Amino acid sequence: MSAIASLFRNDYGADGFRACSVTGLDVHRSVENYVKLFGLTAVIALAVGGSFAFSVAMTRWEFVGLLDASSYYTHLSMHAWNLLIFWMVFMEIAVLYVGGPMVLGRELPLRRLAALGWVTMVVGAIGVNASIWLAEAPNEAPLLTAYVPLPVTPWFYGTAIVFLLGATIAALPFFATIWSETRDSDRTLPLVAFGAFVTGIIAVEAILGGIAAFAYALAWRIDLIASVDPGIYRQLYWIIGHGSQQINLLAMITVWYFLTHVVGGAVVVSEKISRTAFILYLFFINLGAAHHLLVDPGMSAGWRIWNTSYAFYGAAFASMIHAFAIPAGIEAGRRRRGQGGGLFGWLTSAPWRNPVFAATIFSIILFGFLGGITGVVMGQIQVNMTWHNTLATVGHFHATVALGTTLAFFGLVLFVIKTMFRRDFVSDALASAIPYAYGAAMSVATLMLMYAGILYGVPRRTAEAVRNIPGSEFSFAAAVPIFMIFGVFALLAILSGVLFVGVSVGSLLFGDRLPDGDDGGMLPEGGLHADGGEPVHAVELRGTFALCLIFLGVFAAVYVLNWYLLTQLWAIGA
Amino acid sequence: MSNPLEDPDDDWWNSPVNRRESIWLGLAGAWSLGIFTWMAGFTQFGDQNPIGTTYDVDPEEYQARVGEYKETTEETDDGLIPPGDDVYVGAMRFNWDGLPVVLEAGREYDIHLGAYDVQHGFSVRPEENLNKQINLQVFPGSEWVIPMTFDEPGTYHVVCNEFCGQGHRTMHGRFTVVEG
Ligand SMILES: [Cu+2]
Repeated sequence: MSAIASLFRNDYGADGFRACSVTGLDVHRSVENYVKLFGLTAVIALAVGGSFAFSVAMTRWEFVGLLDASSYYTHLSMHAWNLLIFWMVFMEIAVLYVGGPMVLGRELPLRRLAALGWVTMVVGAIGVNASIWLAEAPNEAPLLTAYVPLPVTPWFYGTAIVFLLGATIAALPFFATIWSETRDSDRTLPLVAFGAFVTGIIAVEAILGGIAAFAYALAWRIDLIASVDPGIYRQLYWIIGHGSQQINLLAMITVWYFLTHVVGGAVVVSEKISRTAFILYLFFINLGAAHHLLVDPGMSAGWRIWNTSYAFYGAAFASMIHAFAIPAGIEAGRRRRGQGGGLFGWLTSAPWRNPVFAATIFSIILFGFLGGITGVVMGQIQVNMTWHNTLATVGHFHATVALGTTLAFFGLVLFVIKTMFRRDFVSDALASAIPYAYGAAMSVATLMLMYAGILYGVPRRTAEAVRNIPGSEFSFAAAVPIFMIFGVFALLAILSGVLFVGVSVGSLLFGDRLPDGDDGGMLPEGGLHADGGEPVHAVELRGTFALCLIFLGVFAAVYVLNWYLLTQLWAIGA
Repeated sequence: MSNPLEDPDDDWWNSPVNRRESIWLGLAGAWSLGIFTWMAGFTQFGDQNPIGTTYDVDPEEYQARVGEYKETTEETDDGLIPPGDDVYVGAMRFNWDGLPVVLEAGREYDIHLGAYDVQHGFSVRPEENLNKQINLQVFPGSEWVIPMTFDEPGTYHVVCNEFCGQGHRTMHGRFTVVEG
């Protein structure tokens, strides 16, 4: 107990504030402690969900074939809920508290609500886990989606609502901070706080959709209403089902701006452009949920075109803006200090041994190339027909969430260990290895999922469909080599996840306490605020520009390839 | 000097934008509009669009309709031969009612999709080329009519790729497409 209590101890002044030796922010005890609380809870969810990654991957790899079908769906549901929802949302509340009161140098207001929110979220999360684990026939495992009228236990819908209510309560102190900060002044929020604010708004929209969807299904399961419409449930469900992933995206981008600045010395190349991109998200990104409904009956062509285009690709455009602005911030920041010339010298001379920096950069690159491109491509009405419900979809969201968001959050957790828990890593070498090992192994596993889906048509949501399909002469056996590679790299990715949890928890328990004023090796060369150099708009951003052209080239190639495959099909539809 | 942890300068909206960032905005904007135009245009000139007509129908009524349709078909070893251009498929745990069916290449059929119990995934691909595939969602309560023209003879497999219960991986049907 005292070991845990000591995690929440730092040297604060009489007013409860201390100056962070890395960010220079005035940090209040209340904010710091709640960030730690939500962050630690998130890591526990990560460990739970990650252990189910093992059984899920080893079942899907039929060479091992660990579980039978009935346990498989239970394990898959546990994997999905703990990683896609609990790991992410607990982290996101921590991100809101960092992006709000911590960046603004305030105390956390409404602390009782923060505590109540945490308790409610924990109760909901335990309830969802229990309802999945204890479900009995005729109830089926809910997976992430719990599509009606498949019978799923009402406890599941009820506890999921409790969790969502808890997340709403936990977000209130953040909104109160923003409210009191902007109410009487014409203050412009710092970019990180602004990003967190847009994240918070999108989160509230998603949560309202989730409560509506699950309340509708719950009312049917407890016989308040006689029947449910599967199409209406799907529309409501995907407001949260995809909306929650949009929260992940926005939280991740906010973390990118934060960490590239703090550990990489990045500046903001254009406040106007970066903020406009967040505003585009605010208006358009939730339309992206529609790509789950593209091959549903009953949607008009106009509805499909408008929604899946995120309104003329407003949100995809926003992502491409950040894709330039964030590396450009690093390039500008480092060039102004004279750190690295040539086309890519600013990048190659960056602090690659700092796991926070490496995790952030890998998150940016892998999210963009693997997650972002595939998201837009599979989100087109017609191409969606070839991706929907195949393992390619699973590949896409592992690229976005398991590579992009999770890697960014790995970086953030390691950063918090140094700067807020004030602990040294138990091993610098192991800590440095985390982003490399996880990024590489998860990338290969993710690519294999995409290939299995798009090149071999292997369906998702099956325990086995490559070698052992009882009662069917049809076989996906051609995909066996893909799964041999997938299985090995999935194992390596899981081991890298174990390494992350091990280093994090180990450092908290056994890491040396950093002396006051020590930056723990987190600061970029030359410190956070280096003077001099030319104005940002005049810095040559040719390295970033070259990287972005490569990105656009790959995007175009993947786009053309997918459309080529599509047009080889027989004629379908009107 | 702009940093994301501090309030921006007062004139942040009017600060000049880096030339290369402006060029990138142009490229990214043009690309976004380009892929939008292609997608929207393809619904007019393309041959592969998941667009059809949907009717509300009671699942039991739909099941009865599939039954009536099956009465009118001719039964062969390779499957049912539909009398006209309409083909009815009923998804149920864990079977595709109405399949296998024998169709002619080059002829346009109206494929009716509906479910009797829960949601299913209608996933079709030719036997010898796994990467040619389409996937559509099937609901109880909806009858979705999608026209299809198979241009090449061969066996096309239908699997269920939505989780409709633990046996759903065994849910398998077939289109046998013969020379027209
Ligand atoms: Cu099925």
